Amino acid sequence: MKEFDAQNIAVYALSYDEADALRDFRDAHDISYTLLSDPPSDVIKTFGILNTLIDADDHPWYGIPYPGTYVVSADGDITHKFFDNNLAVRAGPEQLLNAVLGRAAIGHSEPAAAHSEPDLVQDVEVSVQLAGPSLTPTVQRDLIALFRVPDGSHVYASPAPQGSIAVDVILDPCEGLVQRPTIRPQAQSHKLAGTDEVFDVHHHIFELRIPLTVNSAARGEVTLSGQVVWQACDDEVCGIPVRQRFEVTVPVSASPHFALGSKDSKGLEPNAMTHFMKMSQRRKKD
Amino acid sequence: MTDIETQGTKTDKGWRDRDGFVGPFQPGVGPRTDPKGEFSTGPEIGQPMPDVQCETADEILLDLHAHRAGRPALFIFYRSAVW
Repeated sequence: MKEFDAQNIAVYALSYDEADALRDFRDAHDISYTLLSDPPSDVIKTFGILNTLIDADDHPWYGIPYPGTYVVSADGDITHKFFDNNLAVRAGPEQLLNAVLGRAAIGHSEPAAAHSEPDLVQDVEVSVQLAGPSLTPTVQRDLIALFRVPDGSHVYASPAPQGSIAVDVILDPCEGLVQRPTIRPQAQSHKLAGTDEVFDVHHHIFELRIPLTVNSAARGEVTLSGQVVWQACDDEVCGIPVRQRFEVTVPVSASPHFALGSKDSKGLEPNAMTHFMKMSQRRKKD
Repeated sequence: MTDIETQGTKTDKGWRDRDGFVGPFQPGVGPRTDPKGEFSTGPEIGQPMPDVQCETADEILLDLHAHRAGRPALFIFYRSAVW
């Protein structure tokens, strides 16, 4: 939260919980962002994200949204949104911060502000790291492959021309790892000099991101290994496809706390069961 | 029409879903009623964030855009603070 406050980003979290339940939750976890109470699910329905797969008489579950996050610009427009088919998975703070600050999936021919140093690379250089200190069950963080491409060269984006290789990051199987499709930046069209051939490429500095989290099979630490592949060309010559191995070891940190069913629940949130019973009863009456 | 995801395996610690998360509920039941395939995720990227008037935890009516006052924002919909 400190980083969001420092960047003057307003944070709101809405659920169908009653206000008193939210106050207990806020006190138990020392929450500084704004909690919103929507017991009739009016806002949830206005957004069109009520989980309508749940029967209307299935209490207290009916009324919940498909959980997700909208990123809103200073002008009030939606610039990103994060939703997942697995309702337990949520966007991590680093993903959200990057989305708000516009660093998501760099893909420009001009140097991005975060990489203002002169581009002195002679060959394509790639670094791979996790955007975050650890992997936490249900919380997503991106594995980022940052590419630096020499001036005058490009790498094929996806889909590559027939017979060529598109840039990609391929992870080895890893027990406990939960992976989502790779996020790619906008490609640029490139016309080969002297021909009518046009294909999609990336120049200069760009990132491929793989959203990752872990399940309970991941313990202690996780080694993320695999290969980065690319094919670089300039206007005269195409290089052979390159495959470069990487290996990143990261710690696995504890899951976020949830009130019911947790060993800590009685100490941390003593009223959780009372609120749960009350919300179940209230909804049955409605 | 969205389908319900029901893939799951019973284990001695609960039900394991298709991503390997283990919980007390069977996939497709109660809070684990996950959508399979496409599902509604609300307003699209590029659209204005809708107006929101909603009570806060302190039972004060909040207007999102007024409260935001020109700041960028995150708006999180989550299932419950209680369970």
